[in-house]
Amino acid sequence: MPLRAARVGRVGVIGHPVAKTAVVAKAVTPGPAPVAKTAVVAAAVTPGRRRRI
Amino acid sequence: MTDTMTDRSLDELGPVDYIVVEFPAEASNFTGEMVDELLALTESGTVRLIDVLILTKDADGSIEATELADIDDLGPLQAVEAQLAELLAADDIEHLAAAMDPGSTAGVLIWENLWAAPFASAARRSGGQLIADGRIPIQAIIASIKADEAPITQGD
Repeated sequence: MPLRAARVGRVGVIGHPVAKTAVVAKAVTPGPAPVAKTAVVAAAVTPGRRRRI
Repeated sequence: MTDTMTDRSLDELGPVDYIVVEFPAEASNFTGEMVDELLALTESGTVRLIDVLILTKDADGSIEATELADIDDLGPLQAVEAQLAELLAADDIEHLAAAMDPGSTAGVLIWENLWAAPFASAARRSGGQLIADGRIPIQAIIASIKADEAPITQGD
């Protein structure tokens, strides 16, 4: 299907070829222990977690 | 591009993000569930959809782009389609499709984070400049918390 005229001949906004984000693909793939993963992430973003710099 | 994006002052715009969601040929399972969630986000004013394209990458690597408007029965997406701006240029489509595997179909979504717009405007009015942003992969968070939990070995 041809692109609409408005998309042709314009300067783009992405700027470079995009690489597949393997880490995100893995994140949305159901793993063997999704509940455990959820708990770990919840713990990581819980207020009060000690920050070390 | 339509006037949808230029009707508002640039200072009022929220951050704009994109995603490419790939559906491998053997794993596509369109149930409408994604559409429902997308509409919920737009109707609640959380995001504003700016552009949507369906990309297909053939086995030989050739790319075909389908506009939402070219789909026969859009159903509830019809109202959203009418508000889209054609932000992506032909070059962008090539760039985004570079991430796709041959034989797959992908949905490309561009949206404005309306929820962030007032804060972003306030930051700009206060003289702030965005100097970095990004997304933290869930894996990085898991790795961080697991590293904290790991027992410290003797001698460390």
